[in-house]
Amino acid sequence: MRKQIAAFVFCAAALALPALAQTSQLPAPSPIEKELAARASHVDEITLDKKMLSFAANFMNGKNTQPGANPLDNRDKEDTQKLIEGLEGIYVREYEFEKEGQFSADEVEQLRKYFETSEWSPLVKDRDSKTGESNDVMVKLVNGESQGLFVLDVERKEVSIVLILGPVHMQDLRKVMDIAVRGALTRDDMKKGTKVKEKNQAGSQ
Amino acid sequence: MDDFERELRQAFERRPTPPGFKSKLMRKRRAQRSPHPAVLWQRLAASIALAAVVAAGFAWRQHEERRKGEAALRQVMIALRITNRALDNMNKQRAAHGRVNQN
Repeated sequence: MRKQIAAFVFCAAALALPALAQTSQLPAPSPIEKELAARASHVDEITLDKKMLSFAANFMNGKNTQPGANPLDNRDKEDTQKLIEGLEGIYVREYEFEKEGQFSADEVEQLRKYFETSEWSPLVKDRDSKTGESNDVMVKLVNGESQGLFVLDVERKEVSIVLILGPVHMQDLRKVMDIAVRGALTRDDMKKGTKVKEKNQAGSQ
Repeated sequence: MDDFERELRQAFERRPTPPGFKSKLMRKRRAQRSPHPAVLWQRLAASIALAAVVAAGFAWRQHEERRKGEAALRQVMIALRITNRALDNMNKQRAAHGRVNQN
């Protein structure tokens, strides 16, 4: 009986591990993000794990689509699908503030440290001490291959965090970013799919 | 012994079946075999309901997957727009400072 229980537990663990592994790659939100979100006038928070990305890829695959439902044309569809299928996760945060000085350099530094781990190699490190603007681009290299991209873009009234896990080829990424920018999906459509927080401006006036 | 033999013979004596015995027997058997029409209808209704539940479940799952896929794709697109904006901002800043673009 004990052997049977042990075997059952082993099987359950073996089944659960891949599921855990899928979600464990993306980082938990840093505590600073919560504070920034509380002060921001506009927040975009996107967390897509492997499972969600495969939903998106399947949707594009046409298995679950109705004719004409997908607004992307075939070429764009192929490029986007190719990129999405290979990715392990996407973690994006964008905080827009009404006024300058609504976040400190210390908070930015804490954010940077939170994501900066030994496996990431810095590609761009830009600091403007006058304006407080900064840019960080890091890549995760595994056996010489790019397996992740991290971008921390700090503007005067904006902080953006981008973390893309999985094989990222800049050319492919650029192609699909262009598709996204071209407005294959309208702004109204996009707002539905994200957690957007619009603070009541009337309240602050 | 004679009595016993006589009783035995009587017991084994062939007697004609009462009239209508066979049809009565067959009717009983049929009644036992085939359930009441109401039961038949109930079974049919249960089967239809079960099939409908399974079909509805399947359709709901398809719909959910489609909905999740569509939402996920939308989020991917927003994420990529934000990424694009962040990289563009970086390039603009670097260009303004006279540095070489990395992307």
